[in-house]
Amino acid sequence: MSSVTIRIAAANGDGVESSGALLIKVATRNGFQVFGYRGYQSIIRGGHVWYQIRLSDGKLHSHGDGIDILIALNQDAIKNQKSHLNDNAVVIYDPSKTNVTELDSNRYRLTPIPLLDIAVKQSGDPIMRNVAAIGAALGFIGIDIKVFDDVIRKMFGRKGDKVVNDNINVATAGYNSPGVTKAFDIKGDGKQRYSMDGNSAFAFGAYTSGCKFYAAYPMTPASGILQWFAQHQDKGVLFKQTEDEIAAINMAIGAASAGVRAMCGTSGGGFSLMVEGLGLAGMLEVPLVVAESQRTGPSTGLPTKTEQADLLFVMHSSQGEFPRIVMAPRSVEECFYVGKEALNLAERYQCPVVVMLDLFLSEHVESVDGFDFDSIGIDRGKVAAPNPNGGRFKRYELSADGISPRSFPGMPGLEFVSPSDEHNEYGDLVSDALSGIDEHVEMRRKMHSKRMSKIDTMLMNEKCFFPEVSNEGADHFLMTFGSTAQPATEAIGMLNEAGLNVGLITFKYLMPLDQEKTKQILSGKKIIDVECNYTAQLAYVVKANTGMDITDRILKYDGEAITPGEIAMQAADIIKKQK
Amino acid sequence: MVTEIKQVKQVLTSGIKPIWCAGCGDFGVQAALVKALTDLGIDRSNVVLVSGIGCSSAMPHPFSTYGVHSLHGRLLPVASGLKLANDDLTVIGTGGDGDGYGIGVGHLIHTARRNIDMTYIVMNNEIYGLTTGQASPTSFIGAKTKSTPFGDIENPLNPIALALSAGATYVARAFSGDPMHMAEMIKNGIQHKGFAIIDVFSPCVTFNNVNTYDWYRPRVYKLEQAGHDSSDISKAMEKALETDKTKWEKIPIGLFYKTQKPVYSEMDITLKNGPLIKQPDPDKTKINSILEEYL
Repeated sequence: MSSVTIRIAAANGDGVESSGALLIKVATRNGFQVFGYRGYQSIIRGGHVWYQIRLSDGKLHSHGDGIDILIALNQDAIKNQKSHLNDNAVVIYDPSKTNVTELDSNRYRLTPIPLLDIAVKQSGDPIMRNVAAIGAALGFIGIDIKVFDDVIRKMFGRKGDKVVNDNINVATAGYNSPGVTKAFDIKGDGKQRYSMDGNSAFAFGAYTSGCKFYAAYPMTPASGILQWFAQHQDKGVLFKQTEDEIAAINMAIGAASAGVRAMCGTSGGGFSLMVEGLGLAGMLEVPLVVAESQRTGPSTGLPTKTEQADLLFVMHSSQGEFPRIVMAPRSVEECFYVGKEALNLAERYQCPVVVMLDLFLSEHVESVDGFDFDSIGIDRGKVAAPNPNGGRFKRYELSADGISPRSFPGMPGLEFVSPSDEHNEYGDLVSDALSGIDEHVEMRRKMHSKRMSKIDTMLMNEKCFFPEVSNEGADHFLMTFGSTAQPATEAIGMLNEAGLNVGLITFKYLMPLDQEKTKQILSGKKIIDVECNYTAQLAYVVKANTGMDITDRILKYDGEAITPGEIAMQAADIIKKQK
Repeated sequence: MVTEIKQVKQVLTSGIKPIWCAGCGDFGVQAALVKALTDLGIDRSNVVLVSGIGCSSAMPHPFSTYGVHSLHGRLLPVASGLKLANDDLTVIGTGGDGDGYGIGVGHLIHTARRNIDMTYIVMNNEIYGLTTGQASPTSFIGAKTKSTPFGDIENPLNPIALALSAGATYVARAFSGDPMHMAEMIKNGIQHKGFAIIDVFSPCVTFNNVNTYDWYRPRVYKLEQAGHDSSDISKAMEKALETDKTKWEKIPIGLFYKTQKPVYSEMDITLKNGPLIKQPDPDKTKINSILEEYL
């Protein structure tokens, strides 16, 4: 497998995001697999932003370690990106705006192109210089400019002929600039693929499984889910932007109580506000899916950067005890299926399901071959049958498996009050005036045990609450969860090429865990824990569940996404000591 | 909610006794709500009473309707979610002043401006009863409570003025000492298409010895009998501020304001196609058309 990594770098407002998106479309249309990741800041104009797009003839698991083609649209781009350049990297720049004296012309392929001139001459719009640069990049990769024409017609067709022709003329002029020739030995397979980020895949998956209600307050990096539902409101799903995250989770609980599949989503700060509502869903036994897309740090932290440091918080959020499921999809494609699966689990066990994403997973774009829409059906869980004898309905019946059939307002004869206080089988309170009286003390014990016994039922029925292993016979293993599984997968390829036999252990499910099975899987293995946080939270979870102490760790918490090269290099050092 | 009201004979009580002290104003609200629902004859299986936390939030339990006894201050988002998911339901919020004017006041403003078609009854006793007597957002300046032993120094919130400025389309006030009048206010609120709020003076007989039945009786008067034009928001605001102006010597109750504006479900692009719960899951055509966006 070979790959080319392009980084477009400029200031906010220079069109970095749109030109990155354009390049991704053109590359996927040309049969390349892609992986794109943006570095951006919480400002609207100025600053320094970049979009890194990696193209390959095989499945990619990361945006790569170094840059093969740098499109430097301003001077900062040279200064800030030079340390990331691979040897022989192509540097596309406009000599009228940028000087490259600090770059070694023997080490890099410096390619001056009058981007601004081209843009103004061909379209009259200076901002189009990024399109001229994309045209040049296509020339270096060897992508037929005709494909660009097709993509532009599809993307901008409805904006009129001028927009389409300007884009095509500017890109073609960049493509035909002197010095631009095919420089990489790489070719797409011609297969048509989709390109999507994790937020969209998660929202789309949930939608295909009948999610009808999404409530949220804007917060990076979960806003992509909000925008997905906002954009698709005309397709049978209600989206509600709320006054805060407290309202978002409580509205979703209301909607789920009425019988529709409902979700809400946010980042860690908003989830902090949702915590009381999470406990409400646990107590009312309302199915609820919450997406928590992590960003860096407590408080406001680094709003546009990634981390995996909310794991323990999410697992232990809310006062009291109640069953919950915590999942962490490991790729964009898996986000889609987790969107479907989480709704089923929530309704099957009538409990909250938290789906842990992070900025890296939420916002990076991957090419996917397609989705199997029918692989996961819709399971609405236990719904009450009509109540023929006319007595009061026992919504919270003390059932053997802990799951009591639900009813929804509008169903005659199955009325009940759903209470946040502790209650009996009918939903009558055993708090207030009744608390402390023997029979109600007993009811509290029974009702709490009923709810908690759903954990045993999950573990027994689902057979998924343990880590997955690849290359069981390996000498060493990387262990990780969620989005870090991807760069770790690629790191293992590097380590294996270097002659080390390394396998991978990944956690898609974090809570509950089948302790025996998890211990059995991990036992006897030399393990290196890889996560994006300071305190090795996954290792903590493993220790709490198995008693096993994973002390070899690769931890990253600077806000940037961990790369395969970083993992492989550190793992190789640790493996030397493990031997 | 004006559609499909048919008379049904039904028992509206669940047999559960409320937790309130003898003489609590909330009994008056319970009686008025029973009368309103009985008069309207709405099928109890289509009624959801949503409460928060506090003495008054025990309201759903004595009823044989559906109910959600939610978190402190969060009844309006929960109620909104229910109504947005199933527009056929009659959703009625029943909470207190601490719940709705204190911890949950943000939701009041936003629910009002959305004009979601539901009714919100706030049992306002100017005190925190369930936590045994601390100051509430509507406690008077100088009120001596467990949390203000030297007298409350914060201005009381004016719920009627707040609801008017937030865009509520039905704003009324009632008094537990006059349950028959209150039943009319509630009934009209339920029948009103839009967000209806009814602030109810519901005396706490245990922790508030100032705002008692006897204190209210000579002070309250009915707007209906005073020639008030409830279609005029400026006049409504003037009446809302009358308690401030007269230092609570004259307290108007009744309908302050009523107007007709499009309700949320008429404006929302999804709900225009009918109640969410009745809408089908997406078919292959819809799903594939979305997938195409990612080519």
